[in-house]
Amino acid sequence: MLSYDPGESIAHRLDPRAKLAVQIGFALAAFAHTSPRGLAIGTVLVGVVLVVAELPPQVAVWEVRYALPFVLAGPLLAAFSPAPPWIVPTEAIAPALASYRVLLVLVVSVAYVRTTPVRDSRAAVQRLLPGRLGRLCGVGVALVFRFLPVVLGDLSRARAAMRARLGSERSLAERMKLVAIAGIRRANGRADRLAVALRARCFAWNPTLPALRFAALDGPALAFACALFVWALL
Amino acid sequence: MSIENTDTELVGDEVVGNLARAALFAALTGAFAYVSFPNPISPAPVTLQVLGVFLSGIFLGPLWGGVACGLYLLAGALGAPIFAGGAAGMGVLVGPTAGYLLSYPLAAAVIGGIVHGGRTPVEPGTVGLVRLVGGLALGTGVIYTIGVAGMMIVQNLGPVEAFLVGAAVFVPAELLKIAAAVGIVRSDVMTAA
Repeated sequence: MLSYDPGESIAHRLDPRAKLAVQIGFALAAFAHTSPRGLAIGTVLVGVVLVVAELPPQVAVWEVRYALPFVLAGPLLAAFSPAPPWIVPTEAIAPALASYRVLLVLVVSVAYVRTTPVRDSRAAVQRLLPGRLGRLCGVGVALVFRFLPVVLGDLSRARAAMRARLGSERSLAERMKLVAIAGIRRANGRADRLAVALRARCFAWNPTLPALRFAALDGPALAFACALFVWALL
Repeated sequence: MSIENTDTELVGDEVVGNLARAALFAALTGAFAYVSFPNPISPAPVTLQVLGVFLSGIFLGPLWGGVACGLYLLAGALGAPIFAGGAAGMGVLVGPTAGYLLSYPLAAAVIGGIVHGGRTPVEPGTVGLVRLVGGLALGTGVIYTIGVAGMMIVQNLGPVEAFLVGAAVFVPAELLKIAAAVGIVRSDVMTAA
């Protein structure tokens, strides 16, 4: 499970907004320059990001493992042709480059998630999106983070209860239905109690956020993001 | 440190209730990514995320169902481990499954719009079977159309290849999820609650 990992790296000390800008810039640049040369430069830049975040490459690759079946299946299927000669390797080049590009972008976002605490991300969203939309998104994101472990617990208890009553003998649709009903009922109950609690505590459009301040260290990160934006446009 | 405001502007009761439900449904959709069942027809296991999208549209209506799915994407992009396989981060939203994920808010809005017949939510248990199944089928269509298109763009594949990689093995399981969603809406437990 990919999540924040406390540490003392340079990336940990950067402002979340600067890190978000680097991620978006990197994705744009990678999509604009999906050539062997562009991706070679991208690989070097990813190396820099990993060093700055003090993230071992093998950990980064392990965290993006979910995407590997798609990343491998795409080029393999593209190389296959329905008539002789059956395998046309040249057809796989473009999808393989595209797949590699995806891996690079995923690794950069793993570096962000590992080095940024949730409350900083929430504050960044609320500062970047204007007005009430930003506040709604900030609060919503914070609540999703808060309730995910709770809801996961609800679902695993429902599954354990179902197994104990030989629920595994039922059909797949029936089992999905049972787990989901338990999940929805608990989620609705929690939402009602949460809403009452929010009202009781004068939930407002203008709460106090942790202070975010750009520091001298963010200068190079923002300059890097700007360079990536410009490179994406070239 | 400066104080931003001296006046407190309270959030309206309706918005508080809907926001709480949308956040809980987003967390539920995220938690569904961890609930996998062996798939009787293909090697890819069935996870219930799409069921979360269905249920958001059905129980929250087009507007707040869409908001719930939007919060799910935003929280995942900012690092909540709620995408398939416990993945997280903004990169996933431009990865191979980007099209599927980005289609969720639209799909929930479409399902909510059809099931509720407009923007005002009605009691889901009272909705006719044809309307319910039609809405869910159309929502599934939205998810797979945008999902396959996303895979074509991100992975530089042709339409047939993208369909084989990203849709062929998953579609049969969606029929089961539609059946499960209909069962949930019509179950005595839900209508009595």
